[in-house]
Amino acid sequence: MIEMYGVTKIYPGGQVALKDISLKILKGEFVFIVGPSGAGKSTLIKLLFREELPTRGQIFFGGKNITRLRPREIPYLRRRIGIVFQDFRLLPEKTVYENIAFAMEVVEAPGRDIRKRVPYVLERVGLAHKAKAKPSELSGGEQQRVALARALVNNPDVLVADEPTGNLDPDTSRDIMNLLDDINKRGTTLVVASHARELVDSMKKRVIQLEKGSLVRDEERGVYSNET
Amino acid sequence: MRLRTIKYFFKESFTSLVRNRWMSLASIGAVASALIILGSFLLLSVNFDHILKDVESQVEITAYLEDSLEQERISQLKKDFAAISGIKEVEFISKEMALEEFKEQVGEDLLEGIENPLPNSFRIKVNDPHEVALVAEKIEKFSGVDEVKYGKGIVEKLFNIIYWVRMIGLAIMVVFAAVSIFIISNTIRLTVFARRREINIMKYIGATDWFVRWPFLIEGMVLGLIGSSLAVAILGIAYKYLYVTVKLNIPMISLLPIEQFYNYAFGFLGIGMFIGAFGSSFSIKKFLNV
Ligand SMILES: Nc1ncnc2c1ncn2[C@@H]1O[C@H](COP(=O)(O)OP(=O)(O)OP(=O)(O)O)[C@@H](O)[C@H]1O
Ligand SMILES: [Mg+2]
Repeated sequence: MIEMYGVTKIYPGGQVALKDISLKILKGEFVFIVGPSGAGKSTLIKLLFREELPTRGQIFFGGKNITRLRPREIPYLRRRIGIVFQDFRLLPEKTVYENIAFAMEVVEAPGRDIRKRVPYVLERVGLAHKAKAKPSELSGGEQQRVALARALVNNPDVLVADEPTGNLDPDTSRDIMNLLDDINKRGTTLVVASHARELVDSMKKRVIQLEKGSLVRDEERGVYSNET
Repeated sequence: MRLRTIKYFFKESFTSLVRNRWMSLASIGAVASALIILGSFLLLSVNFDHILKDVESQVEITAYLEDSLEQERISQLKKDFAAISGIKEVEFISKEMALEEFKEQVGEDLLEGIENPLPNSFRIKVNDPHEVALVAEKIEKFSGVDEVKYGKGIVEKLFNIIYWVRMIGLAIMVVFAAVSIFIISNTIRLTVFARRREINIMKYIGATDWFVRWPFLIEGMVLGLIGSSLAVAILGIAYKYLYVTVKLNIPMISLLPIEQFYNYAFGFLGIGMFIGAFGSSFSIKKFLNV
């Protein structure tokens, strides 16, 4: 699904964020990206949906080299990727339902599909009863569920999440992780950058560890560990 | 494009128009002022032109002939003149006819008993009033022609005035159009700023650049359209009033009928929309980075 070959990212200021990263993520996998602050986790996530371009190296998504996309093609790449952020990024003046429907309107989905699909994803994240609420009336965990529902609504191949539990307490974080696991079990590939050591350890998923921009560990059913 | 999408674009545009109502009003006012000025000068110049056509049709060239000229030479000259391009009509006025006319004009037989002092002449009309001077110059060169006269100066002066009216109108209009574009682009900038979160999210979700752009373009075009409609309405009413007033009070002058004005109206709406679209595309490019 995702392949990286010799990917290096140097930001304009000269900061080396990623050094010669090569990795392969298969369809249906659940992968954690871990590492200390500044290790390059967010950068790696951003490369996947063409928020950033690598300085060197190639990235393939579904067999297509996305470093060679024309600007016009980027939206269509992003439609195949659901993106979730630490700060949820919901629109405060829209209701929960509207926030999710918005994601479908933006990709010009037919109204009929929107009316069918939005209640379905709301059900899946367990928020059917909050459809008419505004984000400000929801807890952090609930807001992140809305963001998840929005990322899922267009049925992406891959869901990427940058610290999806970064703003949540441990219990709520666990709920969100379980939800992500559930999403993965239904066939969506997941790439999740995370700091939450115990949580990552308990999930028993593949763990890719970065340190100062280098890939230092890649283990199936791994654990988050800082001892090197 | 889906109807739903189009509805979405318009909804977003109108929401912004209302949210930035003061800037929206300023934009509309600017477009309206620009077009009212353009329109006033345009109407002034087309009417000038129209009135001038009347005057011009009366402007004819008179070529006085030398007294000694034989009938044969006169006929030859008539043929030669008729062959000059741009000449509509050549009419020979003999000494006798000139005298008759003179008597009629003066009313009395002032010249009774004196030998007829008036020369033979040609009266020449040209197709294009702009060419009067040129044609006169050509005629003057023929041998046998003693003197050429026409409403010299008047025609040129009038054309000169029309020319300057147009130029000044155009210059002022360009300045006002630039100001309109500037104000509209600032209005749109406010909208872009107010919606930056939304735009950011849209781009992550996979909205195309055009999907992001349309609401802003529509907002700009609606501002331009409202502004130009306002200008058309104000100009239309003012012109109608002017037309009637002139007709009642100065019957000699006939302004272009009001129907002519409608021909320009659509052009004005088009210019308004263009100004709006241009102003917003300016902002979108600069501040949206899509
Ligand atoms: N837009 C940018 N311009 C310049 N340098 C950047 C930019 N984004 C990130 N960096 C730098 O690149 C390095 C990697 O940053 P990145 O955000 O990928 O780290 P991270 O692993 O996500 O850290 P955190 O856990 O704190 O979120 C850091 O040193 C950071 O300062
Ligand atoms: Mg980060």
